[in-house]
Amino acid sequence: MGKRYAMVIDLRRCVGCHACAVACKSENNVPLGVFRNWVEELETGKFPSVSRHRLPRLCNHCENASCVNVCPVKATYQLEDGTVLVNYDRCIGCKYCIAACPYDARFINEERKTAEKCTYCYERVGAGLQPACVNTCIAGARTFGDLNDPTSEVFKLVATESVAVSKPETNNRPQTYYIGATEKSLRPSLIDIVLGGEK
Amino acid sequence: MTTVHFFQVDHEIYWGLLIALYFYYTGMSAGSFILTSLGTVFGIEKYKKVAKVGVLMAIVLLIFAPLHLIFDLSQPTRALNLFIHTNPTSAMSWGVYLLILYPVCLLIYSWFLFRQDLVKGVNNGGFKASLYKFLLFGKKDLSETALENDRKKAKFFATLGVPLALLVHGYTGFILGNVGARAIWHTPLMPVIFLMSAMVSGTGLFIIVLMLFEKFKNGKISEDIRALIADIANLMKWFIVVDSALMIIYFIVLWNTGEAGYAAGYFMLHNDFWSFMVLENGLGMLLPLLILLSKKARQNLTVVVVASILTIIGVLAMRINLVIGGQELPLTGSHLVEYSASSFDIMVVIGLAVAAGIVLTFLYTVLPMNRAGVSPKNSTSVTDNKALSNQKGVAR
Repeated sequence: MGKRYAMVIDLRRCVGCHACAVACKSENNVPLGVFRNWVEELETGKFPSVSRHRLPRLCNHCENASCVNVCPVKATYQLEDGTVLVNYDRCIGCKYCIAACPYDARFINEERKTAEKCTYCYERVGAGLQPACVNTCIAGARTFGDLNDPTSEVFKLVATESVAVSKPETNNRPQTYYIGATEKSLRPSLIDIVLGGEK
Repeated sequence: MTTVHFFQVDHEIYWGLLIALYFYYTGMSAGSFILTSLGTVFGIEKYKKVAKVGVLMAIVLLIFAPLHLIFDLSQPTRALNLFIHTNPTSAMSWGVYLLILYPVCLLIYSWFLFRQDLVKGVNNGGFKASLYKFLLFGKKDLSETALENDRKKAKFFATLGVPLALLVHGYTGFILGNVGARAIWHTPLMPVIFLMSAMVSGTGLFIIVLMLFEKFKNGKISEDIRALIADIANLMKWFIVVDSALMIIYFIVLWNTGEAGYAAGYFMLHNDFWSFMVLENGLGMLLPLLILLSKKARQNLTVVVVASILTIIGVLAMRINLVIGGQELPLTGSHLVEYSASSFDIMVVIGLAVAAGIVLTFLYTVLPMNRAGVSPKNSTSVTDNKALSNQKGVAR
């Protein structure tokens, strides 16, 4: 069996330092105002019963990726190892992938004028290194590796820990597994937002 | 339980006014073509006299529709990639071929529809004559067999044009309907709703264009056109009935489709109250429906024009509410995504609308727009007979 890259993020370890977002920007020359990788922070409850949660987000490199399915020119494609990439020389910038991605993972790079997103630091992984966000995480919350390899760290974590993914109902089959995520952080509370419960 | 987000990334709405307007234009093209093909395809005699006005309008709308998309592309010079690389799972990829096939089919149809009148005008001299000569490609035969061939071919390509019109607008419904991430778009009704609202807006715009055309071409609106407009207004009433039934079904099911669907429905009722309830459904659908229920109102030109204007504004609001409203509901994070149209987008929308109007007026001015049964100003009784026989011929 070939490789299947995936990422496990242990939220019990995340301290919300945003170093992953910074490392990603630095590694990938991501323009101002847009992110390939970012950390949402939220607090639920009322004093004195409150809890704070964080959710690092990045492209889920889905098994059944909406972006790959809707791209009209096959500029977005998936490698055998599961990595979803964008061919920057082919992308016409129709933005269908951005509208279709359930995770807001994509944006238009205004300098390159194409769609763009996390590549699992393709060039680093190819050179045997870890993605920049994994490499920089101060608490070791992120683990990256081959889900088809039973000896890999990601395999062990997914097999032994209670993991959740964001929006499994879309049938995108996302490959970012969170340990210790609350339901509130995995998806926006649309009813709260629309009904005005959230400030 | 309250949840407060401390840090999140703001996302942008990338599909804005230009995409909504693209859907609007293709819809009106398909709607007006299907309506005016009733004469050629289904042999309904009274619609034959507006076939020329309708097909030119459908062609011009469909040529300007995809220009909105080109202006929306971040890499417009790479638009040809759409033809080189095809992705069968992408509705947008199917659309590229439909957006070529449909106008080409309409162009061939209109060539056969116009050919004999182009031949008659070719000897008049001047700019028009040389234009006609060019457009004829040397096919100047006016024998009975040639005319019969024109009728047959016109009917064939018009008949082919109807399913193409349904597809060219139906596929845009799939563009939104296939996006599973957004409850507001993700419904099998979407292509059908798009088609029905296309019939409503296509009919509405056609009534206005037809009236302006008759007014400027003949100075007044003749009795038979008045009767036809009352007839079209009656059809428009039924289109609105079906369209509003679909919208009600859509909304009820959306309301009961999990948290995302309920939130989307609530958003449309409350946050989008003015544009969804008042403009799209109140002024754009209910009011024209109530107006057109009365037979007396349908025979009053002014009232029909008011109803038509209301429907085309209502359907424009519907396209904008769906395309932009669908992206205002966030997929991540904790607040609604804000949209503001860029001045570039607004300029493109206005510029293309004006340009489409100019091109259509130009075509109506230079092409022989005489209709079957009414001879052009400088024609003889011979052409009258021909026109009459033409009318009979098409009726067969």
